Amino acid sequence: MLASPRRLLATVITATVLAVLLPATPAAAHNQLINTVPERDAVLQDPPAEVVLEFVERLDPKFTTIVVTDAGRQTVATSSPEISGSRGVVRFPEPLAPGTYTVAYRVVSLDGHPVQGSFRFTVGGDTPAVAASDEPAETAAPDASATDNDTTSGVSGTTIAVSVGLAAVVLALVVGVLLRRRSRSEQR
Amino acid sequence: MTTVSTVITMADTTDAATGAAPKQPKVTRRRLLTGGALVAGGALSAAGITAGLSGAASSSRDREPSPTSFGEQVEPFYGPHQAGIATPAQAHASFVAFDLQPGVDRAALGRLMRLWTDDAARLTQGQPPLADTEPELAVLPARLTITFGFGRGLLQAAGLDDQWPDAVGSLPSFSVDRLQPRWSGGDLLIQICADDPVTVSHAQRMLIKDSRPFATVRWIQQGFLRSRGAHQEGQTQRNLLGQLDGTTNPKPGTPEFDAAVWVSEGPEWLRGGSTLVLRRIRLDLDDWDRLGRVEKEYVLGRRLDNGAPLTGVEEHDPPDFDAIDESGLYVIPEFSHIRRAHVPDPRLRMFRRFYNYDQALGADGQAEAGMIFAAYQADVQRQFVPVQRKLAEADLLNKWTIPIGSAVFAIPPGCEPGGWIGERLLA
Repeated sequence: MLASPRRLLATVITATVLAVLLPATPAAAHNQLINTVPERDAVLQDPPAEVVLEFVERLDPKFTTIVVTDAGRQTVATSSPEISGSRGVVRFPEPLAPGTYTVAYRVVSLDGHPVQGSFRFTVGGDTPAVAASDEPAETAAPDASATDNDTTSGVSGTTIAVSVGLAAVVLALVVGVLLRRRSRSEQR
Repeated sequence: MTTVSTVITMADTTDAATGAAPKQPKVTRRRLLTGGALVAGGALSAAGITAGLSGAASSSRDREPSPTSFGEQVEPFYGPHQAGIATPAQAHASFVAFDLQPGVDRAALGRLMRLWTDDAARLTQGQPPLADTEPELAVLPARLTITFGFGRGLLQAAGLDDQWPDAVGSLPSFSVDRLQPRWSGGDLLIQICADDPVTVSHAQRMLIKDSRPFATVRWIQQGFLRSRGAHQEGQTQRNLLGQLDGTTNPKPGTPEFDAAVWVSEGPEWLRGGSTLVLRRIRLDLDDWDRLGRVEKEYVLGRRLDNGAPLTGVEEHDPPDFDAIDESGLYVIPEFSHIRRAHVPDPRLRMFRRFYNYDQALGADGQAEAGMIFAAYQADVQRQFVPVQRKLAEADLLNKWTIPIGSAVFAIPPGCEPGGWIGERLLA
């Protein structure tokens, strides 16, 4: 009735691998984000005048969205994306208050496949509580699993981290059970 | 004509067999063509034929199972609106467009429409028209509807171009169009739908035969949906992209549908009718298949499995176009089909009654699959054109859907027994 220990292990490994490889957001086979200004997770003293996103393929203005939100998930006013080749730029009419901002993008590859992702940057250096808004500013060193939200690889870093962690826990449990069972059977 | 005498002979045989009083056919083809009244007597002669058929076959019928219920099911022909619009979509359809012969004028068009109306009134009730050389093929109507449409060319031929509604006008060209003349235009249209393809084929042949002095066939577009009984009645159909298509259609029988579909303004002859935009849309399925499932759902704005919007759970959940994900992006993408196609007021929506098509290999060796996109609305300019523009501007689905044919028709109102389709315009 119970699967052999080896088969059980194989099933667990397969399941873990599949969970990591099947993304819940559009796969970015094509038009990946290769560079940004400000850089991902940058901490800036002064607010930037603009955000620049550079992609592998040229952008289609009809299908390019760039959105900036603040720590309270409110949209920050920007110009419409200015597209030239594979670069998209949005400018801020008002200087940004200190805080952490998320830049999210949605673009389309040359073959029509949609791609989306996001990254963060922080304005205001290492003084956490000088925010003009009611929301407390993010600390300058957010924990690793929360920052990296770029899904250009098709699977977010968070998903990978969580999946690998879970897989490790499950594997450890299974191996522990199997070892205990084997040692018990050897004792008989 | 040999055919007419065959009719009389069969009726005599029947009556001798059953002992009933012989019935004389009161309507002949000649009377019809010269504008004689269509009388119930016409139905009597057809009934004679059907009685004859069943009488002759009675012994063999005992050995055969009786037809299933839907083969004999009938959709009414007469009424204020033509059938085939509010009618629940049948499994098979054929759209036949005609070019008028030179010299066909208003009087000739009247003769054609009287003849065609008589053919349609009989065929849809499971009776062969006069001079039907394969009357057995008419006996299972399977919810047959026959719907007539007038192109602008017809009104011009009749000298009635000033009666062409502004609400129809003409379609502008859209940036996504790749229109081919062989799938576009037409002075006249017949939409033939039934749950049985043999019925459709026979009706099509009969109507084309009767058109011959007046018009030539310009194009025929044939399509299909799920077979009757293959899935639950009333379930939304799927197109060949795999998408549930028609979720937000106005519902027949509701005030929103009536306001959206039936003409209530403009030239009197069209009141109670509708308008039809018929576009042939080729699907690039090989390329569509390269998309991942999640990518397809982002393009559409709906889940593929149950048709729920990306912000909802069930098919008929209203989409939330304001919903934003945790990174600040709209959950239903800006370029998604349902966002670009969205019309908030159901009374301004078009009523889509599409059919799938899947052709045999063409001259280039490629099989072609797509959609016969039939949209009914009271006002083409207010209800169809703005949506098509919005789609052409920035609907990502355009990459896989290519309009290769386009035609617009005015759909006259229905008629009563004794009347004929189009008489308010052409009489």
